[in-house]
Amino acid sequence: MDAQFIVSLSLILGTFGLYIGIAFYNMARVTSDFYVAGRNVPAVFNGMAIGADWMSAASFIGLAGTVMLLGYDGLAYIMGWTGGYLLLTFLLAPQLRKSGRYTVPEFIGDRYNSGTARLIAAVATIIISFTYSIGQLSGSGVVIGRLLEVDTAIGTMIGVALIAFYSAVGGMKGITWTQVAQYIVLITAYLIPVIFMSLQLTNNPLPWLSYGQIVSELQVLDAQLGISEYVVPFTEATRWQFLALMFTLMAGTAGLPHVIVRFYTVPTMKAARWSGAWALLFIGLLYLSAPAYAAFSRFILMTQVAGSSIADLPAWTTSWVNTGSLSLADDNGDGILQWEELVISNDIVVMATPEIANLGVFVIGLMAAGAMAAALSTAGGLMIAISAALSQDIYYRSINPHATERKRLLVGRWSIIIATVSAGIVALDPPGAITQIVAWAFALASGTFFPALILGVWWKRANGPGVIAGMVTGLVVTLGYIFASRFAGLSILGIIDTGAGVFGATAAIIAIIVVSLITKAPSQETQDGVMDLRYPEGMYYKNGEVWIDDSKKE
Amino acid sequence: MRKIDKKEADAYYRIRTTLIIIYLAIGFVVSFGVVFFAEELSGFSVNGFPFHYFMGAQGAILTFIILLFINAIVSDRIDKKFGLDQVKKK
Repeated sequence: MDAQFIVSLSLILGTFGLYIGIAFYNMARVTSDFYVAGRNVPAVFNGMAIGADWMSAASFIGLAGTVMLLGYDGLAYIMGWTGGYLLLTFLLAPQLRKSGRYTVPEFIGDRYNSGTARLIAAVATIIISFTYSIGQLSGSGVVIGRLLEVDTAIGTMIGVALIAFYSAVGGMKGITWTQVAQYIVLITAYLIPVIFMSLQLTNNPLPWLSYGQIVSELQVLDAQLGISEYVVPFTEATRWQFLALMFTLMAGTAGLPHVIVRFYTVPTMKAARWSGAWALLFIGLLYLSAPAYAAFSRFILMTQVAGSSIADLPAWTTSWVNTGSLSLADDNGDGILQWEELVISNDIVVMATPEIANLGVFVIGLMAAGAMAAALSTAGGLMIAISAALSQDIYYRSINPHATERKRLLVGRWSIIIATVSAGIVALDPPGAITQIVAWAFALASGTFFPALILGVWWKRANGPGVIAGMVTGLVVTLGYIFASRFAGLSILGIIDTGAGVFGATAAIIAIIVVSLITKAPSQETQDGVMDLRYPEGMYYKNGEVWIDDSKKE
Repeated sequence: MRKIDKKEADAYYRIRTTLIIIYLAIGFVVSFGVVFFAEELSGFSVNGFPFHYFMGAQGAILTFIILLFINAIVSDRIDKKFGLDQVKKK
């Protein structure tokens, strides 16, 4: 047990103690109006809470590594995951807020007046959240594996135990102030190494302004090695794949059940707009820093690690080689490690760089704490979404309507445990890099919920049979494309698995429109309900007339 | 409850929708538009980055953030103009 282990572990435990402490303090204070608690929070803090909810292991652990290894092509993740907030805030959040429903399956079931649609939405929620959580578990495997210097797979198993326990006892979701604390820990942990590296390499404390210089130097280094240059577009995939991936991530963001839920719980449409704006600002801080992180990491690896003697590599390499995510082989036997001989997994770049750059035990420990917060908080939220869909929408509504509260709770708990363990089994041998696994979840969301919600809000003629056909088509097309692309090498215009959402969404939109038009129009009541979403709060649409309610002044 | 002219309500809807279309068009151009013409736009540099890389790593995200804040501020103004800011939630 070395000093690093003790520092990392105490920072992880310390920050978790802080989150739980805040949760208990808040619960004790506002037991009576638990649900209202979130509603008195200023939009700025609500934005931070959304940020903490949003930033998962994919953003924290996986993103910079993906950008580093893919170069320009990795920026599809940066633009996709931020641009989604435009679609969400402009096209969905205010209307969903006005509809007054609390979950996505509930909104879909009521808007389309169909129990079947609600059931399909619940199944889609489970598939999406399950896929997403595989990415989180494999992220926790990277962190725990490094911490204990064991294989990443063993780290993942420990992560499974932690997440199952943590979500089954209730987790710390929904408590805004806990999430505000998580955001602050996350962003501090992420920014400190970027700022330190910026100072080390460029003497400028503002990485966002200084890394352009490093990017220029990388181009020169790449040219010397004769490899494809870092900034040259479409070296890893085609232009169409870039565009398809970016669309998939944007539309997926606007359709992810656990993200949308945050907008149902704000007090007003005005608060929904401001929360969205603040959220993107706080999220953007990490996304603006990730490419800087990537450029610094690549520069350090190319100039300080590559070119050194194999016999004389720094100590950090051994611990990462042990986790199985780094390989340094002297292929040409000249005793020197070449850049080409260094194979680093996307997923360890963020965690390994502070060690490589020798930033000290405290910074490395802080990174571990930040990464664990990102993985555990998101995984907790996903597990709760799965358990709600299973126990409420499927078990209670469709299988056993007479189930007691206790029985439903039990079904919920067991579904968390089963879902975590099965996601963990898949994550033992991750089917892809964290960002890639998460991109599949986004593809599924963009193929199912995005079309169902957008048309549900903006097109009153969309009806139950239409949305059922649309969600099933979207799900089948997206899943089919992901599998066909991975296992049978299918690619249309060079679009691979991660861009599948563009086909899923298109197919679903066509299916909803066609089937809706050939079947009966929704009832007048439903159509009036959709018209009502056009107008702001306080205005109500009824029988072709608009009413304003100004009686409820506070 | 009092009835208001549907025209007024629809004017509100129209102005909000028009603005949303404008915001989304700007967002589309800075992301999809720049990516589509990435090679053509890589000729000049901003702060050490080729332009297409700058837009992908910083420009687009900053534009998105600014658009959301403009939307929040402008929408508040519109609500005020239509006298909706007085209507508080339950």
